[in-house]
Amino acid sequence: MSINAAQAIGASNSRGGSTKLDVEVAPRFAAGQRIRVRKINPAGHTRMPQYLRGCEGVIAQDFGVFVFPDTHAHGGDQKPQHVYSVRFTAKEVWGREGGERDVLLVDVWDDYMDAVP
Amino acid sequence: MASSAHTRPLSDIEIRVKALESLLVEKGLVDQAAVDALIDKYEHKVGPRNGAKVVARAWVDPEYKARLLAHGTEAIEELGFSGMQGEDMVVVENTADVHNVLVCTLCSCYPWPTLGLPPVWYKSAPYRSRVVIEPRGVLKEFGLELPEATEVRVWDSTSEVRYMVLPERPAGTEHLSEDELAALVTRDAMIGVTKVSK
Repeated sequence: MSINAAQAIGASNSRGGSTKLDVEVAPRFAAGQRIRVRKINPAGHTRMPQYLRGCEGVIAQDFGVFVFPDTHAHGGDQKPQHVYSVRFTAKEVWGREGGERDVLLVDVWDDYMDAVP
Repeated sequence: MASSAHTRPLSDIEIRVKALESLLVEKGLVDQAAVDALIDKYEHKVGPRNGAKVVARAWVDPEYKARLLAHGTEAIEELGFSGMQGEDMVVVENTADVHNVLVCTLCSCYPWPTLGLPPVWYKSAPYRSRVVIEPRGVLKEFGLELPEATEVRVWDSTSEVRYMVLPERPAGTEHLSEDELAALVTRDAMIGVTKVSK
């Protein structure tokens, strides 16, 4: 089926297509909690940038429940889970070269992290 | 063989896009008018002037600003801006102590309804790889030198959340109207690579 001009403009004018899901899923983390990004190297799609794998950060904010791209991008399950804004210091990520007062804030899904005791 | 100084050969990516477009149209999967309508919309109707209106409103209306920082998507929609690549908006505020700058290290995620389509440099590998490592050096290349005491927050847009920077209102603009303020606001200031100046 072809998409006509009215439909295309209508879709782009609407609220678009959020991947936020209106489902109840228990968050694995809470604001203020310390986490470590898992060292993962999936063969397929992922949204966990390599430069942060293994780094420790602090949960800044819970954005709610979203589709999990690693499975969904390959036609699999939506695997609904929370996405958080996680704060990493530049020192933690880059070591000595990291700026003293620089921080990175990155969106991270539940499945990419473990709690740091 | 005829040649024209006015026609340059198409790049590989242009040829590929044209081939894909022809195929989609031939197979009846997409209507040429739909492609034209979308291009017209994003070339002429959607762009950083939308975001500038949001910023100016936040500067003159403290209650709107509070809503914008707490519930970005809804507050932006109050001014009529919503849709693709702006479904879940978070607005981050620059202050005297904190400077925010946006990037998408994985690709080119960008808030279309308020800023339009991203500039080429935003999508380039050098910007994306360098701004996370040495943000102050990159900002300096944009002409912005920040005091050492300022905290620089680099937002790497890895999920479907889209960010926009609320720049600081420049001093000496108390007498300006909302429209005049909006005219000062630039795309680059809403990405966070520059400040707004009078």
